[in-house]
Amino acid sequence: MRGHRRLRGGPWGRTLAAAGLVGLLLGTAACGGGDDSEGSDPSSAGGGGISEQGEPVEGGEITVGLEAETNSWLPGEYGGANAGTTVAYAIYDPLMKRTEDGEIKPYLAESMEPNEDFTAWTLTLRPDVQFHDGTPLNGEALKTIFDKYLMAPTSNVKNSLADVTSLDVVDDLAVTYTLNKTNAAFPSVLTGAAGWPFSPTAAEEFGEDAGANPVGTGPFTFVSWQRDSNLVVEKNDNYWQEGLPHLDKVTFRPIPDEDTRLASLQSGDIDAMQTLRQGTVSRARDIDGVDNYEYLGNNSGGSIFNTTKAPFDDLRVRQAMAYGMDQPALIDVIGGTGLTPEATQYFSPDSPFYSEEAADAFPTYDVEKAQELYDEYINDPQRSDGQPVGTDISFTYNCPPDPSLNELSQLYQSFWSALGMDVKLNTVEQAAHIQNGLAKDYEVQCWRVGDEADPYITLKNAFTPGPLNFTGYTSPTIDEGLETLRTTADLDERKAAVADISMDISENVPNVFTGYTLTDVAVQEAVKNVDGWEFPDGTKGDGVPGATTMWGFVWLAD
Amino acid sequence: MYVLRRLPSLIATLLAVSILTFLMTSLLPGDPALQILGAENATPEAIAAVRAELSLDDPLPVRYLHWIGDALTGDFGRSYRTNEPVSQAIVERLPVTAEIGLLAIVIALAIAIPVGMLSAYRAGTRTDKVISSTSFGLLAVPNFMVAILLILIFAVWLGVLPATGWVNFTDNPVQNLRSALLPALSLAIAEMAVYTRLLRTDMIATLQQDFVTMARVKGVSNRRILFRHALRPSSFSLLTVAGVQVGAIIGGSVVIETLFAVPGVGRLLLEAVLVRDLLMVQGVALVIAVSYVVVNFTVDILYSYLDPRISHGRSAARV
Repeated sequence: MRGHRRLRGGPWGRTLAAAGLVGLLLGTAACGGGDDSEGSDPSSAGGGGISEQGEPVEGGEITVGLEAETNSWLPGEYGGANAGTTVAYAIYDPLMKRTEDGEIKPYLAESMEPNEDFTAWTLTLRPDVQFHDGTPLNGEALKTIFDKYLMAPTSNVKNSLADVTSLDVVDDLAVTYTLNKTNAAFPSVLTGAAGWPFSPTAAEEFGEDAGANPVGTGPFTFVSWQRDSNLVVEKNDNYWQEGLPHLDKVTFRPIPDEDTRLASLQSGDIDAMQTLRQGTVSRARDIDGVDNYEYLGNNSGGSIFNTTKAPFDDLRVRQAMAYGMDQPALIDVIGGTGLTPEATQYFSPDSPFYSEEAADAFPTYDVEKAQELYDEYINDPQRSDGQPVGTDISFTYNCPPDPSLNELSQLYQSFWSALGMDVKLNTVEQAAHIQNGLAKDYEVQCWRVGDEADPYITLKNAFTPGPLNFTGYTSPTIDEGLETLRTTADLDERKAAVADISMDISENVPNVFTGYTLTDVAVQEAVKNVDGWEFPDGTKGDGVPGATTMWGFVWLAD
Repeated sequence: MYVLRRLPSLIATLLAVSILTFLMTSLLPGDPALQILGAENATPEAIAAVRAELSLDDPLPVRYLHWIGDALTGDFGRSYRTNEPVSQAIVERLPVTAEIGLLAIVIALAIAIPVGMLSAYRAGTRTDKVISSTSFGLLAVPNFMVAILLILIFAVWLGVLPATGWVNFTDNPVQNLRSALLPALSLAIAEMAVYTRLLRTDMIATLQQDFVTMARVKGVSNRRILFRHALRPSSFSLLTVAGVQVGAIIGGSVVIETLFAVPGVGRLLLEAVLVRDLLMVQGVALVIAVSYVVVNFTVDILYSYLDPRISHGRSAARV
């Protein structure tokens, strides 16, 4: 499956395929989806390739079209998804980032070392790094950021740092994160907003307006921000990485509508844009003179079953529903045909944690089998919903209002009705939809699962008791696997543990999938090296996960 | 006098609007605290902390009184989501929406007045039929379709106007006008059709009145009759409807500003509603309601100015 969908031509194809490994938090809850435009046939999906890169060129400015505006740039308040992260990478540097092999490695930090049982992590910073306002980046700065902002009562990263009991300064450049329990996956927390150091002096000075005046260590310094219009950054002449950034200026413009964002790229108003919509990706491939930097992430659309409610507490019902749906047909409705393979687990074929066995074990379309399982349940005198023998099950399927999601819901409905189920469709506004998920106040609903965080974080959230376990499903096998993930840093052992968990999910189907999400940074050909970022020691990075770009490495050809 | 007499009902309207917006937004499903934290971080303790910080647990009447009290002094609070002062956000964005809206009305009137007059003058002819059916056609096309078509034609094919984006007037007046043109045109198309139909109907009635016949008999030229004699008495309902249609323009701006990625009040409102940014929604809704009421109030006054008969009649009745 690897590299099945893109990367025609150019030596950059391989790099790009490798870059499709793992990456950034995509946000588990939001239930976006495809697009109402038609999917393209794999053979006819044009573009998709990348032009020759050539040698780096210094100078120039570009304008980038974003999916959405971000509420605030202050970690703790910052609630941006992919559109926010890509801007943040211009202003901030993440302490840790992911390599193309999926390993979490220090980026702004110089080193990150655990103690023997992974209950304390010592992070050492690089010497002579300064924030844009001249404040030195040192242990004191990290401690102030942590105590005063990240752990504030209303901080939205507090939960991801819940294991940390304290952050202590060891010496000028080193701090120790002390955890209340073993966590071998802790460094991955510092790839996100909790690991984007910002100037504590500037934050103090700006007070309540700190979120509108970001001061980081990144390749570009913040110039101005007019909400919903543009955010301008300029080259940081004092950047700690020699020779970076290449560009003089980047303007980010949130253009929420997919059609007009693409039209802006086509008309040359903007030089680059991001998209997470499958229909837009296939159309961007067809534009001449546009390079597409695509990335197949772990995030997948699908439906979740509330396993705490009858009849979905019965495995036969869930299996019947999984066998009774044709995933390729559903993918087609959201425009993903030719872009994404069928999803079978929380990790895409490009992830190091992908398991072939779990993929084979996940139910695929088989109406007879589905009917058999369903009939067995409804004719079972002991059936969990207490209904009379032979009565069809009846439930409501919830999904937010969106043309492509409506179509998707109708297709699910037709598959499940064909088995005899009485499926009612219900449109629920996004905010209420998420709340229903958290409160498990639903029967079956469309949902996104999987993200680019460490498997321990993703799977612990999804399958241990708590509000984030949206399906309510737990199992001893999963607990065992999570224990391994928490206590070992050995990649092979961790892969095996994830494979066991994925197998358990394939066998117990707490949810079904509708393909992974292919994301795309579409740029004018002159914009180069969009996914070619590296660690300071030359290790290749993870490319453009979720259409987020390390702008410091990008240059503009003459 | 007239203004003073209207004042109590104006205040009552605004009060009702403020209570309604406050109630409706507060009763929406979806917890703002959850929106602020994001699902991944929404532990019950974190939600409780945020709700306490925002005083979301106080009884509704208490929250309303706090809010309206501050609002009267111009303080709408800070957005839950962006921490930006609501009044500042509105002050920054209102000019954008106002500029696009005004431009839309000007474009619509500039086209509708001659076309409507022509249609009335040639009532029943082929010209009239073509104009009428075109207006009906334009009325039926939703503004987002118009917007996409305009972008395709003027930005992608011809490359003469920007597809999306906004340039502040203070930064570059020419670019500002270029960025406002397509959004304004998208809003103007439907308005134009409404105005044309309305003016046609009124003008046909005017042209049948005795004073027009009299003018004709006196040998006044057609052009002079149309512009000097018939336009003013035919434009009362046009003016009234133009005032009422400000509501349609504000409504349309929600869609149009999002499509054109323009930082106006409509887009601010839409995003605030989606994320349950209650203080922002309440502040913006109140300001929109006030603008609407003020515009229509102004139209009322203009109306009596345009038609002295009404003004005199009213003052006579009142004295």
